Amino acid sequence: VKSAHLSLVGFAAASLRRRRARTVTLVLGLASSVALLSAVSFLTGALRVEATRVREAMPALVVQRLVAGRPALLDPALAPVLERIAAVRSVQPRVWGYLFLASIQSNVAIVGSSARGPITLAEGHDLGPDGRGAVLLGKELAEVLGVRVGDHVMFPRPNHTSKDLVVAGVFSASTSLYTSDVALVHEDDAREILGVPAGSAVDFAVELTNPDESQVAARKASEAFAGARVIERRQLDRTLALVYGRRAGFVLGGSLPALLALFVLAWDRAAGVGPAERREIAVLKASGWSTGDVLRLKLYESLVVGLAGAGLGIVLAYVWCFALGAPGLREILAGWAVLYPRARLTPAVDGAAVLSVLALVIAPFVALSIGPAWRAAGVDPLDAMREG
Amino acid sequence: VNRLGVWVHFAGLLLATALVALVVHAHLARARRTAEAPGILTVVAALPSPDFALSGSGRHLRHVSLSEPGAAFADEVAIPDGDPAGGAMAPPRAIWVESVQWQVAESPAKSPVTP
Repeated sequence: VKSAHLSLVGFAAASLRRRRARTVTLVLGLASSVALLSAVSFLTGALRVEATRVREAMPALVVQRLVAGRPALLDPALAPVLERIAAVRSVQPRVWGYLFLASIQSNVAIVGSSARGPITLAEGHDLGPDGRGAVLLGKELAEVLGVRVGDHVMFPRPNHTSKDLVVAGVFSASTSLYTSDVALVHEDDAREILGVPAGSAVDFAVELTNPDESQVAARKASEAFAGARVIERRQLDRTLALVYGRRAGFVLGGSLPALLALFVLAWDRAAGVGPAERREIAVLKASGWSTGDVLRLKLYESLVVGLAGAGLGIVLAYVWCFALGAPGLREILAGWAVLYPRARLTPAVDGAAVLSVLALVIAPFVALSIGPAWRAAGVDPLDAMREG
Repeated sequence: VNRLGVWVHFAGLLLATALVALVVHAHLARARRTAEAPGILTVVAALPSPDFALSGSGRHLRHVSLSEPGAAFADEVAIPDGDPAGGAMAPPRAIWVESVQWQVAESPAKSPVTP
């Protein structure tokens, strides 16, 4: 049985070798389609998993204030109003914002440091209890500015003067996805750079005693003062799913014509049993092969082509995404930035995902190939040979 | 023919090994990232939100979870929404530089940021 199986597989391979051009076209067409689809799926999955991993770091609620449809500064007197809501454990006023630096043609996220735990850095030290006049920079930002720990940086202030800060530390590469454009400074320094008056806050980070009461607390917070806008932590998942799902859809939509062309090519190659193949089937039938044997041969042929194309496509997609950093795809799916985080994404691929792709590609491919072969195998060998 | 069959099996085994290696690599990378997670969480907790430092061209993309409704048009008048185009459409950086020329004029080093 083993020898018969080997012979049949060998026969199928020899048959594919005789139609070398067709086989190579099919394998490459299948591999490139699977590579593109898998790469989009792998990259989107990696971004979602990465975002989910740190979602707990987001406050349970973020309270903003909108005036004329734009975010406005919050009065510190509003914090006690929120603190009176049942289930609210703490309200932390935050100061942060964006600063455009002409020299690097990029926005930098200036973040005022508030009460928090110690931070892991690649080099240097944390801001310390006072920390005025010091800054922690994202790795990419420090590199673009050409500064190291101990150097001075000057950020422009709204009154057309500059704020001189000493680089106290640089964030580690493992946090680069979040910090590449971040300058973390003392809250007072952030106010000076961003022009936020003393006492005012950009938003409030609200922590709850019971996360299950998030919705109720959010509703009460939104009624606490005019223009209040409340963002719940649980909305983060939906936001990310929408953003990356939409981007993945955009990429797949853009590549739909190419995928359709490949599909039509594959259909034409796989479904059409040519005269040579009909003749081959007729010869096999005339020499004693049963219809079952012929179908088994065609099954092996499609499995060899399908597995090779799909397997190669998955490997190519993985190497493209996680070894090469998905050039040409990551910018579209993940976003554009001057201070682009260079950190590699962590693959979320598992055995089930690989098997799903294989099954989704191979099952229809084999079904497409077997049908015409079954029809050809049903024809009388003499008639087939006369036609051929 | 038998020899060709053996070769096909060998090639199949090679491909299967590559796929298993890929899954194992992904598993190890995830384990490494999980080990880094506590350190990452302390940093992210100090930031406005856990959004990725991507698409810094507009606040509606930089901190996408905190952006206000209609934020794309609040950044610049009739600015093209970079999302979902993402990296396919870079913003007009040169025009932004022109709008903050005072930064260049004020700084003796012709740069707002000097080492």
